[in-house]
Amino acid sequence: MLHTCVDQRKRPALTRMQSPSSILVVRDLVKSYGQLRAADGVSFEVTGGEIFGLLGPNGAGKTTVIECVLGLRQPDSGEIRIGGLDARGHSNAVKRQIGAVLQSTALQDAITPREALELFGAFYPDALPAGELLERFGLTARGGSRFETLSGGERQRLALALAFVNQPSLLVLDEPTSGLDPQVRRGLHDMIRTFRAEGRAVLLTTHYIEEAHALCDRIGILHRGRIVAAGTPNELIARSMSHTRLIVRAARPLDAGALAGLPGIDGVEVRDGAVSMEIGETGPAIIELMRHLAVTGNELVDLQVRKPSLEDVFIQLTGGEGDAA
Amino acid sequence: MKGIWAHLILTLRLNFRARQALVYGYLVPIFFLIAFGSVFHSSVPPLLHEMGQLVTITILGGACFGMPTSMVSERERGVWRRYRLLPASTGGLIVSAMVARYLIVLLAVIMQFCLAWCLYRTPFPAEPVQMWIAYSVVCFAFLGMGLVIAMLADAVPAVQALGQAIFLPMIMIGGVGVPLRVLPPWAQHVAGYLPGTYAVELLDACYLPENGGIGRSKFEIAALLVIGIAGCVAGSQMFRWDPGQRLQPGAKGWIAVALAGWAAVGLTAEFNGRLAKPVSSPAPIKEPWRDVTQDEINHVSFADLPPDDGVVAPVDRSLADVPAASRDRVSGITRMLWDWSPGQQGNLPQRLRNLLSAAAVADVLEDPDEGAIGYVVLDAARREAPDPELEKALTYIIEHPGDGAVFTQVPELGIHGQITEQASRERTGMYAAKLLKRILGK
Repeated sequence: MLHTCVDQRKRPALTRMQSPSSILVVRDLVKSYGQLRAADGVSFEVTGGEIFGLLGPNGAGKTTVIECVLGLRQPDSGEIRIGGLDARGHSNAVKRQIGAVLQSTALQDAITPREALELFGAFYPDALPAGELLERFGLTARGGSRFETLSGGERQRLALALAFVNQPSLLVLDEPTSGLDPQVRRGLHDMIRTFRAEGRAVLLTTHYIEEAHALCDRIGILHRGRIVAAGTPNELIARSMSHTRLIVRAARPLDAGALAGLPGIDGVEVRDGAVSMEIGETGPAIIELMRHLAVTGNELVDLQVRKPSLEDVFIQLTGGEGDAA
Repeated sequence: MKGIWAHLILTLRLNFRARQALVYGYLVPIFFLIAFGSVFHSSVPPLLHEMGQLVTITILGGACFGMPTSMVSERERGVWRRYRLLPASTGGLIVSAMVARYLIVLLAVIMQFCLAWCLYRTPFPAEPVQMWIAYSVVCFAFLGMGLVIAMLADAVPAVQALGQAIFLPMIMIGGVGVPLRVLPPWAQHVAGYLPGTYAVELLDACYLPENGGIGRSKFEIAALLVIGIAGCVAGSQMFRWDPGQRLQPGAKGWIAVALAGWAAVGLTAEFNGRLAKPVSSPAPIKEPWRDVTQDEINHVSFADLPPDDGVVAPVDRSLADVPAASRDRVSGITRMLWDWSPGQQGNLPQRLRNLLSAAAVADVLEDPDEGAIGYVVLDAARREAPDPELEKALTYIIEHPGDGAVFTQVPELGIHGQITEQASRERTGMYAAKLLKRILGK
């Protein structure tokens, strides 16, 4: 597999037309459960060498979209194409192109990683040897251990190895790092980045907004069954209506009214003894603040510049409904 | 195909790693073997006529509990949900799970035959190929039921409940645990609607050659195939991959299809008069034998009766002259006659007919111990009632040779082979006359 070193974050926001390298195309996907529209016209594409993240609060429809892509649920309408094939019309051919890590998958207690990889590999014509997969995913030493004795991180690495057994062009990862400690999570991030570097398309959902920011080339924010925003993390933040904030602590209490009157400062509020100011441009606002401190004979103790984050965008777009689960 | 094969091999491997599966799959059948050996010890050798029941119980356990428990527990864990992402057909995975169970249970059955031989010298099937075919047909029928259970049950405890709902009726009134011949007629009718009855009959027929083998079990084979196909079709249509997946609205229809197989078989058996055979029928309400007069008793002629030491209807003078090699067998038959249920069922003439026809069978088959068997049968019959009643009942049997039922085979007494009904009635009449002659002191 060719290793690409393209800066993935410079990709265009959301491709409207299927590009030649689109591995996954979802168009106008609709899925209802009774009165509830879990997916309401969801459209997105994922190209080779790209990690696309689906982010949304609980009940936003992420799992429904993922399950429709994987063929675990039949959509009411819409189109899903994987590798150019209609996912509904070419079920087995499509399955050969997909690797998946499901949110709630476990294996039999007594099965060993090597046996699981050999079993899953037996269903594909060009499966990777179990030994090679064990080595790649750092499981060689545990290849003969029973599944019940594996740690959370080892189980998740095995799930990734199983997803990779058929060298898929599309990897679908439903909360792959959920419940893992930060060190293990970081290791899995590296593996997922390797998939991207190999030119595979990765569709990912995650609990963690910072993980989405760190891993995903593009993110689609799903809210009440619709994608309400999509783009690179930086584009989403740039489009955010949130402001940069200066958080200041001084030796003597600051006069919030006086600060609000300074040029370039839009709003001031006092929180926990510190003053938080919404600002336009950072440089001029800091100069005005310093000048004000000098005039009033006050002394600066602490100054923080806080840029808007993906979390701010998420809360703004979803109305702060729960977390990103 | 390679994937399905790999799944089959792995399922077998995992089964032998699971302690619980080993206990249910292999220890429980051993327990049943020993329990049956303790309860049904009267035949020589023990278990000769219970192996069909034992094998049926083993298959039933594997199909109603083993396979569904394994499938439901894997579904609960999300294993089947993960399998669903593989490029494999539903049918292929179902067949793999069923074949794995077929092999697991087959091993348990072979183990039972070996242990029965070691513990009781119960013989191996005389026709192993026929026995294997019978096993396969029974297994197919029960695995179809097991598949329906696996699809109906949301969780493992529900498998236990549903499995027991099928297992217990078959054990108690389905001819599987309690032999069909000792069940009341209403239970025999109910048993006709339960697949266990046909399983036992088919396995029995193939285990002992004198029971007719597979050639005489066409109805049983057809019944089990119908039940198995109905179960497999219903089970695969209701198949659930996902632990959270509810039964589809059409599931009730498929349950009806599975049960329709049972009903169709039962009704066919009913219309063909296969249910509630006359051997275990209750006593007739009218008892005309009680109207036999002393004059009729006095007019019974013994002139044409063959001698006791002849070749027809022989009766030894005592058991003292029984050869040493036969002593154990004859004393075993004596013990068995005490417990023999047909000797305790029906009115007095029917009980006597049942007992005397056992001697008749041994006589016509030229059993090496026919004279001794005649002796112990007459001795047992003599104890059935006070002499005045015996005189009436025996006179009635002699005067009405076509009445009631007689045995044409008694394998449960260790006498192997079958005779015609006519021959049985003729010799039963002779033994009745010989007993009456003794009672009257003529």
